[in-house]
Amino acid sequence: MRQGESLVAHFDWVLFAVYMVLLIMGVSTVYSTAYNEDHPFLFDFSQKYGKQMIWLVVSLFLGLMVFLIDSDIYRKFCLPIYFFTLIMLVIVLFMPPVNGARAWLGIGSLGIQPAEFSKIGTGLLLARFISNVNVKQQTIQTVLIANAIILVPMVLILLQPDAGTFVVFTSFLFVMYREGITYDPLILKVVNIIPGVKFKQTWVGSHFIPILFVVVFLSLVTLLMSNEKISFDFLPGIILSGYWSVILSLTIFALFLSFVFRFIASKRDRNRASLIVLIGYVLASFLSTVVNFGFQGLAEHQKDRIELFLGLKEDPDGEDYNRNRAMAAVGSGGMFGKGYNNASVASVESNHVPESETDFIFCPFAEEWGFFGTLILVSLYMFMLLRIVMIAERQRSAFNRVYAYMVAMILFYHFAINIGMNIGFAPVIGIPLPFFSYGGSSMMSFSMMMFILLKLDSQRRDVLQ
Amino acid sequence: MNFDTRKYVLITFIVLVGVIYTLRLFYMQVIDDSWTLRAQEIAEKRKEITPPRGVLFDRNGKKIVANRTYYNLMVVEANMKNFDTSEFAELIGWTNQQVRERFEAIREGEGKYYNKHTGKTTSNYQKIRAYPFIKEMTLEEVARIAPHLENFPGFYEEVTSMRSYPFANGANIVGYLSEVNREEVEEDRFYKPGNNIGRAGIERFYEQELRGRKGIKYIVTSALNNAIESYAGGKYDTTAKQGPQLTLGVDIILQAYGEKLLKGKRGCIVAIEPSTGEILSLVSAPSYDPNLLIGKRNISTNYSQLLLDPSKPLYPRPLAAEYPPGSTFKLLNSLIGLQEGVITPESGFPCNKSVVGCHDHTSAGNLADAIKHSCNPYYYAVMRRIIQQNKKKSAFEDANVGLSLWTKYMHSFGLGKKLNTDITGLRSGLIPDPAYYDKWYGHHRWAFSTIRSISIGQGEVMLTPLHMANVAATIANRGWYITPHFVKSIGKSGPAKEYKWRHYAMVDKKHYNVIIEGMRRVVHVSGGTGKRAKLKDIIVCGKTGTVQNPHGDDHSVFIAFAPMYQPKIAIVVFIENAKGGGGLWAAPTAGLMIEKYLTRKVMEKDREKTIMEAQFTYRE
Repeated sequence: MRQGESLVAHFDWVLFAVYMVLLIMGVSTVYSTAYNEDHPFLFDFSQKYGKQMIWLVVSLFLGLMVFLIDSDIYRKFCLPIYFFTLIMLVIVLFMPPVNGARAWLGIGSLGIQPAEFSKIGTGLLLARFISNVNVKQQTIQTVLIANAIILVPMVLILLQPDAGTFVVFTSFLFVMYREGITYDPLILKVVNIIPGVKFKQTWVGSHFIPILFVVVFLSLVTLLMSNEKISFDFLPGIILSGYWSVILSLTIFALFLSFVFRFIASKRDRNRASLIVLIGYVLASFLSTVVNFGFQGLAEHQKDRIELFLGLKEDPDGEDYNRNRAMAAVGSGGMFGKGYNNASVASVESNHVPESETDFIFCPFAEEWGFFGTLILVSLYMFMLLRIVMIAERQRSAFNRVYAYMVAMILFYHFAINIGMNIGFAPVIGIPLPFFSYGGSSMMSFSMMMFILLKLDSQRRDVLQ
Repeated sequence: MNFDTRKYVLITFIVLVGVIYTLRLFYMQVIDDSWTLRAQEIAEKRKEITPPRGVLFDRNGKKIVANRTYYNLMVVEANMKNFDTSEFAELIGWTNQQVRERFEAIREGEGKYYNKHTGKTTSNYQKIRAYPFIKEMTLEEVARIAPHLENFPGFYEEVTSMRSYPFANGANIVGYLSEVNREEVEEDRFYKPGNNIGRAGIERFYEQELRGRKGIKYIVTSALNNAIESYAGGKYDTTAKQGPQLTLGVDIILQAYGEKLLKGKRGCIVAIEPSTGEILSLVSAPSYDPNLLIGKRNISTNYSQLLLDPSKPLYPRPLAAEYPPGSTFKLLNSLIGLQEGVITPESGFPCNKSVVGCHDHTSAGNLADAIKHSCNPYYYAVMRRIIQQNKKKSAFEDANVGLSLWTKYMHSFGLGKKLNTDITGLRSGLIPDPAYYDKWYGHHRWAFSTIRSISIGQGEVMLTPLHMANVAATIANRGWYITPHFVKSIGKSGPAKEYKWRHYAMVDKKHYNVIIEGMRRVVHVSGGTGKRAKLKDIIVCGKTGTVQNPHGDDHSVFIAFAPMYQPKIAIVVFIENAKGGGGLWAAPTAGLMIEKYLTRKVMEKDREKTIMEAQFTYRE
């Protein structure tokens, strides 16, 4: 810290303000949702809103503590912190299960979920590791270590099991992509075994995020089409199954691309482009085939689950109970909602939407405030995420930047999945809405995450490259 | 290699998700209503309070359709504890097997609903919902069970209202109720499965009025289906309101008497108060006790029996049966002849049996006597003059013009079309017009000789008894009628506007006196065909008719009104297959009805006895 400068000279008040607004909106929604006529007082600690107030105060206190510590400590002690969270993840596996998962450490309602805190530990260590990697000289070792840092806690979390947090850990891939970590050394090792092949680099290894996106997209399309039958007016009598129409579309697209390249590419590039299109086409068709026949080969109840998720099948009172109730609550909010404390579907009392104060907190909020409210909420999260990306980009040190991106992507995952499952866009996996959902662990861990970021950012000028 | 541009990939991801989610939320919350409906389905329960139906009174203030409280024994399976089947079976007087089967039937059948969109029928049985275990128990039945119900948690009694008919008469007038079917539920949001709807008669015609207004309470319910609070503080709740009471013009005592007179016979009596058009009684024989069709239990056992009965007790003959009017039709042809100027009251025609058969009587030297004797050749001649007025050279063209004119007259008496009476099941009868005969014989291929049988009310002419009674009322009023109707007032309002309107027939008032004098002679002068309708102190004006029936014995018909001046009642009696013509059976029946209505007692006990005991044979 430079002499004469106050502790908060470079403090990002904007991010802090958004954080506080979300906290307050969250608490007020918990109060409305879990409202108990016999205990109307907000600070009634027998009620969930009373407890949430305690968590809020504790979180802010933790945040202040975190802020007062010199930011260097996170870089220096990231390894001990990481191992500490790992040990907690191991210990928690020996705890009695709550709701079928060994996720809680502690007694009764005052327990904490180590999985929430392991995100911070993993984030810090990964940031430290990536900031030291020379991206131009990546080896198999660097790739393996970076992935091991993520995979170890992921495996431990899957053992609980906690599918939601497990999925959230894949958000680190985005950060690795941003920093240029490439899977190329690994892929080349495998590919170059083939005699006569001598690649120096593969496009696949470094652009894994866009490729992942294409893979997921193509898989979804294949699944959505799996039970379709397509017929054409101008070709009577010919009926294509969904799978063949996907293959047909891919073929047409590939032909179109090579046609385009013939015109725009130079002669030398033309052959390369044709080769890339051909390989891409073969790989995409292969993926589509695997997904299609893999899906057809699944057992009936597994198929049902997937079809349910994709909206190909309806079972509003059975398998799809939670999501159906949640969507009814959100959708019935209308333009301006039913009014504060007036949720009829999503209140804890009516209990139509399960977990409406924790994982489904978006329901009562959307029902009470309507599109007016949800627009504000989505905008606030968007603003917060973009602000963090902006903060990340202004860091001088790679460590700070990587850490900031991690915060952004973890929050983004939570936001996208949590709200997504309320509007039928994501599977129902229980992860909290950051700063909003009832629950001490998530609020404390997100707050610490946020304050570490604020601290790193406020000291960004102290760090030289 | 510089990876800074890759931040745009991440930013694109974030912004894309934000935009897509916002659009999705806008669609779900603002545009698409289906989630709102789904939420209502899930969390809000409309609790409907069905008010008792409006009650019906007769013209003298006697309650003829009332409501009676019945009880349903309800069961909520989730609340049942330590259920002892045999103990319960003993309490309600069933066998163990029956109790088990009933439970099975509820689980399988109750709560079944048809989904319009998927076309599937789904059972929605839920343990936490209440279902009727036994429906429609009387107070006596429930009083025996109710004190012991506390030993059977999950069971309780629920009050429902059903019809009762203090007088077992007028079933064809009041109609009956039964449960709504699927189409009705889909068509009208008022009805829910299990609700009752008027199926026939007044109950059906005045369904909108009688059903009243449902009270609706919106309740927010929890996932366990218990009520939490009233929705939006009761802002949208409405209170139930019973339908207004209907006062009918019917005299239930007269109705009961008429039904008694026609017991064992097939036929009808329709009596109208001429000055108001109010229907005093509408007897359809055979009929049934309306109490047989109260509630699901009764309907399921009795309805099919009534429906399959060859004598058709459910068929409202006075409204729907179309008969040739027979000689009663001569009154109208007389009036038209006078109005057209083709005859005068002094016109005489010989009783020439060579043109059309007749009974033995002296030739009528004037119109009144022709009516008295009901002379067929006389009316053949009258009708010939009406139809063939020599306005055109060709006999065919001339008949065409004449018949058009005659049809117009008939329509002005309300014949050949459905009367606008406030009941369902009306038929229009038939007054043939030139187009009708053109269809049968070809254009200009028929003349008077082809259609002559209509002159004596036979052949193609068809009237319902209600039409005939309306003719009697029109003559009683000397030229006008008010559409016959049942309901005098709905609640406190008077009769509907359309039942105050006088319809004038195309015959001037002055022509009626001679006809009425003829009708008086029918009853009161020796040799008149309707002398058995004669009463001591009341002048009855009537006209007999004997309707030839190719399927069996002739029908006996009599139309009349009384008293001669300021008539109080116009009546038609129609008895099917009664041997012996209008004078023998229908006339005395009409006389008894008139006497009963005007004096409230019957002096002619012998006549009454003869009529009541008469039985006729009917071929099925």
